[in-house]
Amino acid sequence: MSSRKKVLLKVIILGDSGVGKTSLMNQFVNKKFSNQYKATIGADFLTKEVIVDDRIVTIQIWDTAGQERFQSLGMAFYRGADCCVLVFDVTAPNTFKSLESWRDEFLIQASPRDPDNFPFVILGNKVDLDNRAVSAKRAQQWCQSKNDIPYFETSAKEAVNVELAFQTIARNALAQETEAELYNEFPDQIKLNANDNGRNRDGDNCAC
Amino acid sequence: MAAENKAEEEMPAATAADPSAEQKERLIAAVKKEVKQLMEEAVTRKFVHEDSGGVTALCGAVESCLGQGLRRRALGLFKTSSTTALLHKIAKHCPEAALVSARVLAAEGAPAIRSASGVERRPSVPRPPLCKRGSGSLLSQASVQAPPQSRYLWIRIALFERQLAKIIEHLVNNANRYYERDALVADPDYGSILSSLLVGPCALEYSKAKAPACFWTDPPADELVQRHRMSAGTTTPPSVRRPILSFKRSLNASSDDGSTVTTGTGKPGGAKDYVESLHQNSTATLLYGKNNVRVQPKDVEEPMPGYLSLHQTAAGLVIKWTPNQLMNGYAESEGIDKSVYWAMSLQVCVWEVVYVHVHRSQASDALILVGQDGVQRPPIQFPKGGHLLSFLSNLETGLLPHGQLDPPLWSQRGSGKVFGRGRVRRRPMPSLCESDETEELETDDAAGDYVFRIVNNTIADREAMMRHSLLERAVQSPPRTPRRTLISTSTTSSDSSTMSVDCPPSAGINGHPPLSPLPTNHPAEQAASIELVCSTMRRQIISRAFYGWLAYCRHLSTVRTHLSGLIHPNIVPREGAEGGLTEERWQSMTDEQGAVHDKDEVYRLVYYGGVQHDIRREVWPYLLGYYEFGSTAEDRIEQDVACRRQYETTMSEWLCVEAIVRQKDRETTAASIARLSEASGKLKPQDNNDPSEVFEDDCSVISDNPPIVSPEPSENEQKRPDKPVLSRAPSIDEVDNIELDSDKDKETKLNGETDTGNNRESLDVESLKDLEEDDDVHLKSVVDNPDMRRESIAEIKRLAEGIVQKGEGRGLLCSVDSAHLNGSDFRSSIDESQPSPQPQHTSVIITNPSVDIAAGGSPASGGTTATVSPARSPLGVVREESQSAGASFDTLEPSDRHAPDTRSNCVSPASSNGGVYSNELVESFALNLHRIEKDVQRCDRNYPFFTDENLDKLRNIMCTYVWEHLETGYMQGMCDLAAPLLVMMREEASAHALFVRLMTRATDNFPSGQAMDAHFADMRSLIQILDCELYELMHAHGDYTHFYFCYRWFLLDFKRELLYQDVFAAWELIWAARFVASEHMVLFIALALLETYRDVILANTMDFTDIIKFFNEMAERHDASAVLSLARDLVLQVQTLIENK
Repeated sequence: MSSRKKVLLKVIILGDSGVGKTSLMNQFVNKKFSNQYKATIGADFLTKEVIVDDRIVTIQIWDTAGQERFQSLGMAFYRGADCCVLVFDVTAPNTFKSLESWRDEFLIQASPRDPDNFPFVILGNKVDLDNRAVSAKRAQQWCQSKNDIPYFETSAKEAVNVELAFQTIARNALAQETEAELYNEFPDQIKLNANDNGRNRDGDNCAC
Repeated sequence: MAAENKAEEEMPAATAADPSAEQKERLIAAVKKEVKQLMEEAVTRKFVHEDSGGVTALCGAVESCLGQGLRRRALGLFKTSSTTALLHKIAKHCPEAALVSARVLAAEGAPAIRSASGVERRPSVPRPPLCKRGSGSLLSQASVQAPPQSRYLWIRIALFERQLAKIIEHLVNNANRYYERDALVADPDYGSILSSLLVGPCALEYSKAKAPACFWTDPPADELVQRHRMSAGTTTPPSVRRPILSFKRSLNASSDDGSTVTTGTGKPGGAKDYVESLHQNSTATLLYGKNNVRVQPKDVEEPMPGYLSLHQTAAGLVIKWTPNQLMNGYAESEGIDKSVYWAMSLQVCVWEVVYVHVHRSQASDALILVGQDGVQRPPIQFPKGGHLLSFLSNLETGLLPHGQLDPPLWSQRGSGKVFGRGRVRRRPMPSLCESDETEELETDDAAGDYVFRIVNNTIADREAMMRHSLLERAVQSPPRTPRRTLISTSTTSSDSSTMSVDCPPSAGINGHPPLSPLPTNHPAEQAASIELVCSTMRRQIISRAFYGWLAYCRHLSTVRTHLSGLIHPNIVPREGAEGGLTEERWQSMTDEQGAVHDKDEVYRLVYYGGVQHDIRREVWPYLLGYYEFGSTAEDRIEQDVACRRQYETTMSEWLCVEAIVRQKDRETTAASIARLSEASGKLKPQDNNDPSEVFEDDCSVISDNPPIVSPEPSENEQKRPDKPVLSRAPSIDEVDNIELDSDKDKETKLNGETDTGNNRESLDVESLKDLEEDDDVHLKSVVDNPDMRRESIAEIKRLAEGIVQKGEGRGLLCSVDSAHLNGSDFRSSIDESQPSPQPQHTSVIITNPSVDIAAGGSPASGGTTATVSPARSPLGVVREESQSAGASFDTLEPSDRHAPDTRSNCVSPASSNGGVYSNELVESFALNLHRIEKDVQRCDRNYPFFTDENLDKLRNIMCTYVWEHLETGYMQGMCDLAAPLLVMMREEASAHALFVRLMTRATDNFPSGQAMDAHFADMRSLIQILDCELYELMHAHGDYTHFYFCYRWFLLDFKRELLYQDVFAAWELIWAARFVASEHMVLFIALALLETYRDVILANTMDFTDIIKFFNEMAERHDASAVLSLARDLVLQVQTLIENK
């Protein structure tokens, strides 16, 4: 459709609880780090405008609860995502191990059009800490094995690589979005549904 | 602007010294004020729009400052009151001024010649083409608003170019040249104040963006609320403003079929927007507009004049009619409630209209729209004189290319479009035939009726087919009647058809002129068929309307029945309960034995007025059902003691599992660190220390890692990675993950086992003394270990291998854990299988003399003294250990390692019992433990109560609860629920007891339960009943099947939405409401929150995501007492509603 339309990119951040999803999001959007964040309950999002390849795009970053059982809730939020950011904590190997299941879960729930090429980005967070337990190499290897997912080592606390990572996220999401635009039936679908809804409601409720 | 005027009137008086000081003060104050406002604007919006009123005001203020005391005569500036000339003058000396001057000239273009009279150098300035950079819109605006000289232009440009401060500084520095001595600029103080004031605005970001969309479309929640307060001046609480059941509205809405539209018209807040939308704008093209078109809405006697307009929008054509009362400049309606009129306004999407009936009479022309659903809109009466025709022709044009009027208007040379003449293209059109034979009649005041069908080409074919077959079946029309006829009958205007179509009972609102019977000059058989068709149609329309209505009513009644389950039917009176439960009252209700009996009164007081803070600690246990009403003080003390004992028992159970978990963690971490360091090709001295230390001094208190140089670094290096392999033998997947080391692991496995065994053995020792209380097994192993240590490495290895085999796939830990079982009576299931309870007990006693106190122990744990000891020892001690680290917990694990050894000596059969602390159990507790710790650490860190000590209490409560409910496990949010309880009770055991009570209800809210979906559904019904307008909006925005924005509210009982003080009040309300008004008070609080901001939500037509964001941003900023009292009102509303059913 029209390329001048305002572009909104929906980005989902996933990862085990306590890996720093909220911190990363806030570091990117608000440029600050707080050690006061509480465990995320439900979902929240922040938006930020960034310039990608001379286009102004709005990224809508969805922060979700880390505990996997809350992911049933995620469905509603995953839908229509343009990029998925998987975060793990480089000091906690378990959070790295669960990346795989986060990725799978996302693909199942969001069911993107082209799962193999859906853009993911992996962030190994908390590199500012000393007790690192997951080597960059290991993470890198895993990412390579998964269709070359971009990998960044970040520190939300010290704002290391955060900007860069989200630039990549935005770019990949935009690429995905433009690709999606090629399928023109998408907007139509929405429209049809809207009409149907309207009509049904009409019929059901009242007609006097 | 004000400053400007002021300056002008003060100008002559500039010579007087005294008033001038005052004047200067005023001038500078004006600048200050404007600067401040501009900066505020910049802060809230992050940029300032160039056309902003703030900019103009600031420029005005600056201008008047600069104008004051200017030596016009000396500078040759007699003719102009503007300071523009001054700018050009100083351009010679001041580079900034030169730049701005050039820009100004460029912007002014040719007309500027007149104004800038004194500028001799102007021609020499190379004038760039009129690029209008940064001033395009501004110029046009200036030329409209300001005098032709566009007085502030240069100041504006200087401001946008960020040169203003410098220019003024230059002026101030050279004030003697341009200004009178007593001028503001020449004043040593004011002059510099002025220039420094402007530094700020000069640093701002100015944007010329046409519509600062990013701001207006995505404002923070605060801003939204603020804006709403500004615009909505006198808002009444929503519940008051609207009738409870606005059936009328929703009925209208459904027939209008534009829920967005209805919500748009319904809200007073959007009135201005709506009226503006009636004009030409970017989203909709205005095709036709006519005022004083009369419509007679429902419930109104007389047709009312209003504005009829036809808009082309993306979704199609829309016909709108708005009563004059709502239009701009209708003074009479000021101050009165306009909502009535909103309900009257019409908004019809043309694609929803099938038929357009036109009735022309001598008096007026009326147009009636009949929708697809058979619903007929009130007649729209046009003034005489071709208006209706021009409306129709506009409509026809607007329908193209996707649709058309059928029959089309007949285009006639000379007089434009006229009503169609049937004969030409169509089959007979009776009314036309009879009423007008001549063009004059048609174009002028011909009386007659016409029906046009609006055909949507995209769906026309399908629909025609459908309609057709339907009719044919019903009518049994004569075979020779061609299909075409049938279609055209509906489109053709005939008196009878009009009548029959127009009169479903539900549409009795419109005043049709009585219509004459069927004309007689038609073939009888055709008339008959028409009649048949029409009567069928009528029946269908009526029945459809009826069933629609019936379905709607049924739906509402279902909703009501459903709602009645949410509240208690009997309304508990509020009288005298406003003050809440005060200490005084509480005292008076307590009898001499400390018992409180009148629970209903307590609940009532709490419900209506809350609990006084000082007695909350006392009252909460009652509210949560922990204390029984009527229990005496003694009973309660007893209960407390028992509860604490129970709590401590449970704690001691999980503490030893925790110890195991710790050790495993340490190993894992060590392993991964080792792996990491290996991967990076470094030797890690730290790693070497661990084993070496183990080797060297067995019996010392093992603190984490004293840097001892290992005697055999190479060997240790190999061993290190083995540890995890051994310890985590059961979890094969994890082993798999250790890819890098796998080779080495294999090589050194045997060694590793031995070594580890050895290590473990050495680790236990001293620190166990602290831990003894936790678990007799450990104690026992402590005792046994010294002996074991003497055993050869080979022996240990053998034993270890044996254990692994015995574990039946469970692995080492499993069997290790089963050792606990033997020792501990907590899990007494396997007592009988233990051949050696006694040795264990002895060991307890031996190792434990200082700590072991029989007093508390015997009743609680039936025999095992050890279980009680932690209870007695302050919990803090246990805590310290777990905190203090590594050391103590490390030692636990090794002792476990030895346990099998010892058991193999004395209790060998037990190891195959399958252990209570099975591997799965340990694993699952480990998982929970880690989660709990992560969340506890970040729970309310900003709240002063949560010091490390209290966070530990919180952690214990969590762990204890989770240990008791391991099948549910820890779920995020539990911390938040427990925190206020702990804050209130301050003591672990009772906080835990209350938490357990709280969780009985709350568990269901977590993802494992079903309550959340039920809440969402209830919310939906409640909103539908109590606030249809909001409901419509939510519906219109799609996915409102799940009210996710309420998720956190329900999950945490608003704990994150409110401040602590308010959380207390809200929770009390929820607890008490259970017995007073509703078991689902959360719903009503949620509803109250939503209602509090409904106008903001409606005014901004927020969708799903907007609302989530809004409420997340509003967290902890709500006016809780207002929300809570609104919640009570809402309960009352529903109660009355149900009662009046």
